[in-house]
Amino acid sequence: MGRFAEVFLGILTAVGGFVEIGELTFTLTAGSIFGYTLLWVTALGTAGIILYCEMAGRIAAVKHRAVFSLIRERTGFTAGLITLVAATGVSVLTCAAEIGGVALVWQLLSAWSYRWLVIAALVFFVLVVWWLEFEWIERVFGLGGLLMCVYVATALAEGPSWSDLLAGLVPRTPDVASGRELANYWYYAVAILSSIMLPYETYFYASGGIEDQWKPKDITLNRVIVIVGFALGGLLSVSLVVIGAEFFQAHSIQPQLPGSAAISAVLAFGSVGLFAALLGMFFAFAGAAIETALSGAYNIAQFVGWPWGKYREPRNAARFTLTWLVIFVACTAIIVTGIDPVQVVEYSIVFSVVVLPFTYLPVLVVAADKRIMGEYANGIASNVLGWIYLVIITLAAIVAIPLFVFTHGGQA
Amino acid sequence: MRQSLDLAREVLDHEIVDADGVSCGMVDDIEFDHPPGKPPVVSNLVVGPHAWSARTPALLSWLVRLVVHAPVVRVPWSEVEHVTERVQLRSTAAKLGLGKADRRVGKWVSRIPGA
Repeated sequence: MGRFAEVFLGILTAVGGFVEIGELTFTLTAGSIFGYTLLWVTALGTAGIILYCEMAGRIAAVKHRAVFSLIRERTGFTAGLITLVAATGVSVLTCAAEIGGVALVWQLLSAWSYRWLVIAALVFFVLVVWWLEFEWIERVFGLGGLLMCVYVATALAEGPSWSDLLAGLVPRTPDVASGRELANYWYYAVAILSSIMLPYETYFYASGGIEDQWKPKDITLNRVIVIVGFALGGLLSVSLVVIGAEFFQAHSIQPQLPGSAAISAVLAFGSVGLFAALLGMFFAFAGAAIETALSGAYNIAQFVGWPWGKYREPRNAARFTLTWLVIFVACTAIIVTGIDPVQVVEYSIVFSVVVLPFTYLPVLVVAADKRIMGEYANGIASNVLGWIYLVIITLAAIVAIPLFVFTHGGQA
Repeated sequence: MRQSLDLAREVLDHEIVDADGVSCGMVDDIEFDHPPGKPPVVSNLVVGPHAWSARTPALLSWLVRLVVHAPVVRVPWSEVEHVTERVQLRSTAAKLGLGKADRRVGKWVSRIPGA
């Protein structure tokens, strides 16, 4: 089991990034509006996150360095601080949304009051992160997140148009009537790229490698984990696009709540589909909440040089422990006000694209540096691909906010 | 044996690790002695919010001074064992006065069951 179980770090990271509450509904909506035409963005983003997480995991295995200490060291203090503030904002907003998502799933199962369930979710998360060791967090929420594969089965049951699906993997500009529709298409393209390459996935994954005490001999394992984990995430994402295109578009349903996302699984597989979808969403949202809260605490601790890690006793990483506790409480305070969790996370997805270049540039520069990484430095292919992706995400970061404003957040 | 060290790129904003291998801050600033007629030499690494705030825009610097009252900690350069990707110290954090807040919060956290 030992080393094989490490794959759950990749699965937890990917499920928490690819099918958390915001992206679940966002990808279904994109599929219901644009059909298969945005699938190439999903493929592009999946390859990008595999590329960069592999580098970040390799740096963690070889040098035991996490992403935020690299960011501060390589971009300088002020740029690093701006990245830290933005990344923490994204983590807090996403974590708040996931706590709301868990409460919504529990509400569907119990019909209890949403606000009390939000408080119950806070207690649940604090107890789980306090008592469970990191490797058990990986295993429990990674394994449980696999229940989201019910959406892969649902997509297959919907009978996707394979020729359209393959055609969607080729980048193209869609046939649309107006400039506003075109802007809407590109808004969704940028947001999907951002939501797949969410920076907190990289922060969490690299910190997780250090939590799991990776060594240089683990770099092959690191490769296997990123490919298995994120390919699964990509598959889930493609499945959601298919369901959006084949089910929600056909029935003219706007999939704006987790409950509506489960409808497609219910119609395909009855009550088994319903429970798999609800349990899968619970584990995916809960995994994402833990991923974002911990990555918020990892980032701050790494930026200012505090001792950090779940592998240390809480009293020996006191400020790190206090930080994740405060993040959970703050996120609960945000979401208990009744603010819509899906809306919250959609804003955070768009703003996180701005953080992407500052996150991935230091990772690329260090992974490519032979003086630091020695024989484990990037090969030519990783370097060339890394720089191509950096250009792409920089362009996405530049156009993200103007597109968001111009399209009113994809409502144009 | 290395002949030169780029302080801005290889020391400033790098993690400091004490003799026990525990992180105990970042190099937030570097102080020099500049005796008349002689070249400047590094005297201390400076750690703490007031050290980094001096490097940020005025408004943020003012805000940090308003909120944080902890003094900076000066680590004599002679305490530096070696510099790789991290700055390795010869002594423990406690001996050098680093990581005080962590120990203070640690006392509070250790009262919680399971800590």
